[in-house]
Amino acid sequence: MSTKPLVLQTQGLTKTFGGLMALSNVNMTLHEGEILGVIGPNGAGKTTFINVVTALYPPSSGKIEFLGRDVSVSHPHRMGRIGLARTFQVVRPFRNLSVLENVAVGAMFGAGGAKRSASEAFGRAEQVLTRVGMKDKISADASRLTIPDLKRLELARALAMDPKVLLLDEVMAGLHTAEIDRAVELLKQIHADGISLLVVEHVMKAIKALSHRIMVLDFGKKIADDAPDVVLNDPNVIAAYLGQRYMQRQHEKAG
Amino acid sequence: MTRGDKILYIVCGLLFAAMALLPLFGASGFLLRTITLALMYAVMALAWNFIGGYTGYSAFGNVAFFGIGATVTGVMMTKMRWDFAPAVLLGGVICSLLSFLIGPALLRLRGHYFAVATLGIANAAREIVAGWDDVTGGGIGLNLPLNTDKDFYTFIYYIFLALTILSAVITYFISRNKLGFGWLAIRENEEGAKALGIDATLYKTLAWVLACFIVGITGGIYAYYNTAISPEAIFNPLYSTTPILITLLGGTGTVVGPILGAMILLPLSTWLLFNFPGIQPALLGIIIILTIIFLPRGLYEYLSGRRKLTLAALLKNPRDNQA
Repeated sequence: MSTKPLVLQTQGLTKTFGGLMALSNVNMTLHEGEILGVIGPNGAGKTTFINVVTALYPPSSGKIEFLGRDVSVSHPHRMGRIGLARTFQVVRPFRNLSVLENVAVGAMFGAGGAKRSASEAFGRAEQVLTRVGMKDKISADASRLTIPDLKRLELARALAMDPKVLLLDEVMAGLHTAEIDRAVELLKQIHADGISLLVVEHVMKAIKALSHRIMVLDFGKKIADDAPDVVLNDPNVIAAYLGQRYMQRQHEKAG
Repeated sequence: MTRGDKILYIVCGLLFAAMALLPLFGASGFLLRTITLALMYAVMALAWNFIGGYTGYSAFGNVAFFGIGATVTGVMMTKMRWDFAPAVLLGGVICSLLSFLIGPALLRLRGHYFAVATLGIANAAREIVAGWDDVTGGGIGLNLPLNTDKDFYTFIYYIFLALTILSAVITYFISRNKLGFGWLAIRENEEGAKALGIDATLYKTLAWVLACFIVGITGGIYAYYNTAISPEAIFNPLYSTTPILITLLGGTGTVVGPILGAMILLPLSTWLLFNFPGIQPALLGIIIILTIIFLPRGLYEYLSGRRKLTLAALLKNPRDNQA
């Protein structure tokens, strides 16, 4: 995996809000074709990490490189246009637009948008919606969707941008078991298309099924970054996030 | 485009055709002037629709640019002896430049803050024009060259008709292109829009500058039409609020909404004035309140068949769908 070129990396990434250190000296690498899981307790800085990498907030210090370019100082729309797409943990649908229009906007303005006209973007949006299994809801207003559908819409909009790298902020929160299995399958297909993924998630089942590597954040610091079986048995990670009961259950299942 | 949309476009087309033919059939001066005013408001409603309807930024001070357009036209025609057309165009250009300069700063504000800031701009513009005696004639204002041509009012009528059609056509094309979808996305969720690759600052500024250009032109034509302009008259806040009401009534963020809104609200307002002179403002107010409670997305939704006009639909608050 690590022989593949880097697509996204941060060096010494730090973000402070007043006296609060939300991210402290985080070094992250994401290689082409990799799925990186990011876990950590609430408030560890996972969403802040995505917000800083996508230029929603400027970093306090440190460097961000995307596809070999320094993008430490940028704008969210510029990141979207050069191939970095994201989803929001708190969904941000265009409520009074139809599902198709929502996704078409992604196809118009994302990395693939420059070469598409508005009407071509609608064609692309239809493809993506078929792909994520929402074809039957194409003409519904986004305001009528349920939370699982809004999460899928969020994913579809990001996919329609034709990104190189997709940052997913808890797309599985609120889904039930069968839906999680379907979402994992979908993300695997998306990955097979050549999109590198950074997956922030609390659903351990999904993280384990997807991640090639897991990074753990705690109080804004990176406390582990390794292969899943190494990270999930790391005493520091167990203490900070997973908890003893989780480990016991895993051992009972194994035994 | 739904069947309902097509019917509405045809209705608007027929309305324009009828208005184009009206002067040829010897319409009364009163009727022509009533429609001229309705068309002037239709243009300003279409202009407000770009920033307020499509982009979702509630600009409350568009009268600033109406007044500036009128003042520039007045000054150029009286002091510099310019012709009407170049004077009006210069007014539009100056309005675009000013709005382009203040736009990026102003458009960082959202919601009520933006509305209050635009209101402040309108007041500041009025004070500057009223205080700049040497150029603008101060509080008394200016008297533009009187046009005694017997067809003058018909001429103005056709200018406003052409400007309405032009603004509607521009709206139609923008609404079907990336610019229009970008505006809608910003209105619906600005951060989501940015993450999808939309340069929100640029798009908002374009909507604002386009709106201010059209309003500036309208102010310039009004100045020539009305001959006498005083700061009191050309910075009348009604020039900000009436276009907003028209758009709300017809349907924000739609091509036909502002046109239908103007053609309904202004004749209605005139009719009420003649039949219930004492209480006309109160009646208008009641109509507006009822519109906002029961038709928050305007008549368009019902006229286009997107929502059936039944008692149940009216009583079910359409805002319920929005979290």
